[in-house]
Amino acid sequence: MTAPQVSASTTLPATDDDVIAAADRLLLTVDDPEYPGLSIVDLGLVEEVDAIGSSVVVSLIPTFAGCPALHMIAADVTTALEADPRIDSCEVRWLATPLWSSERITNRAKDRLASSYTVVLRSKDGSLRCPICGNTDVRDQSMVGPTRCRSIAWCDDCRNPVEVMR
Amino acid sequence: MRSWQDLEEFEAFLDDGGMVEPGDAMPDEYRSEVFRFIEFHANSELMGGLTERDWIPKAPGLRLKQIFLAKTQDEIGHAHLLYMVAADMGVKSRTEMLEDLFEGRSRFHNVFHYQAVTWADQIAIAYLVDAAALASQRSVFAECTYGPYKRVLKRIVAEEGFHMRHGEEMLLRLTEGTDIQRSMFQEALNRWWWPAVQLFGPDSDPNDPLLRWKIKSKRNEELRHTYVQTYVPLLQGYGFEIPDADLRLVDGVWQSGDIDWEPLKATMRNGGPDSRRRIETAANNWTDTAWVRASLDTAVAKRSADAAA
Repeated sequence: MTAPQVSASTTLPATDDDVIAAADRLLLTVDDPEYPGLSIVDLGLVEEVDAIGSSVVVSLIPTFAGCPALHMIAADVTTALEADPRIDSCEVRWLATPLWSSERITNRAKDRLASSYTVVLRSKDGSLRCPICGNTDVRDQSMVGPTRCRSIAWCDDCRNPVEVMR
Repeated sequence: MRSWQDLEEFEAFLDDGGMVEPGDAMPDEYRSEVFRFIEFHANSELMGGLTERDWIPKAPGLRLKQIFLAKTQDEIGHAHLLYMVAADMGVKSRTEMLEDLFEGRSRFHNVFHYQAVTWADQIAIAYLVDAAALASQRSVFAECTYGPYKRVLKRIVAEEGFHMRHGEEMLLRLTEGTDIQRSMFQEALNRWWWPAVQLFGPDSDPNDPLLRWKIKSKRNEELRHTYVQTYVPLLQGYGFEIPDADLRLVDGVWQSGDIDWEPLKATMRNGGPDSRRRIETAANNWTDTAWVRASLDTAVAKRSADAAA
């Protein structure tokens, strides 16, 4: 008769820091529902992750208070984290402060938004650069686009619509 | 600016994976077919958005109202982007496209020619119709040789995927509900199954230029077939009955009964059951908001005059 295999993780109880580290890694797999391929970490939604034993609290900030995706994001976070054997319960809290701003988006995500979604951020002087042709001849068209977090512009050079993160 | 000697050379360019851009001297046939396709898509987004809007005040609960608000904004935003791309092709201006639509001279998706009777219809639309539209859009996005359209489709497809999740969630709530709620959905399914299946259109013409020019990547009948394979078992799994008495499972493949294409043809003539009311509502909406456009024009003109002074 062979002794049951016991792995290190089941013999040593996970510390709170281990659990937080695991939660941090799992959050990288939770994509924004409107931008498949971009995680909520990339978009700067994650403010704090805390753990006591196997209970995790993830504090998120919404891009817009009325964002219709909040419920879905919270459900996706809970599902992703509770799949880890070290995490028994995950609570998501939406914080009222700090306010989200596009500065919270990581550089990797900014590149990705531009290259795969043709969505750009306005530079500090207010100018826009076309994510398709690189030209700065981009004119604002309307204050809101398909979502409240984006406006619409038009590139006169390559003649494509460009969406701008507000 | 790129140009091609003849259609044959242009088609070889497309077959090599070439992407057409607005500045290219594309063949007239390509320009007009692609324009018509994008105009149809834009009209459908706009008419779809107005339908969603009807249900904002009637949606049960704040969360669902929020979802319908967001979906309305999405659809209208998609229409806006698509009209920009279409107008740039130089066939019709944006205003001409809108006037043609509101005067009943244009076409839009068959599913927006029917009336949504109860809240369950709206769920059937979100679950079944949005899924059919998404399958069709995904197949266009898969190849799509017209650059600006493909770029807009990328975001549309991502956002419509998000709508589908809402549809599934709303359907689950109803299926877990009372007998009355379940029978409400069955009745809605009876009304919406065939329009959803017909959204893909009749079998593709073997010479369909949109397939040859890689705007469409799949034939209508292929898309329809895949859709039936997915949704028949899902709906049956939830305990609903597909309103097709001749539906058969043959060697593991679902086969629909004969499809009556008359209802689809009627919608393409704007003669569907709810076409007149829908078009009239959209037209009134355009007239009622004329003052907003006029005020914006005045403000822009004043700002340019001030800047010049």
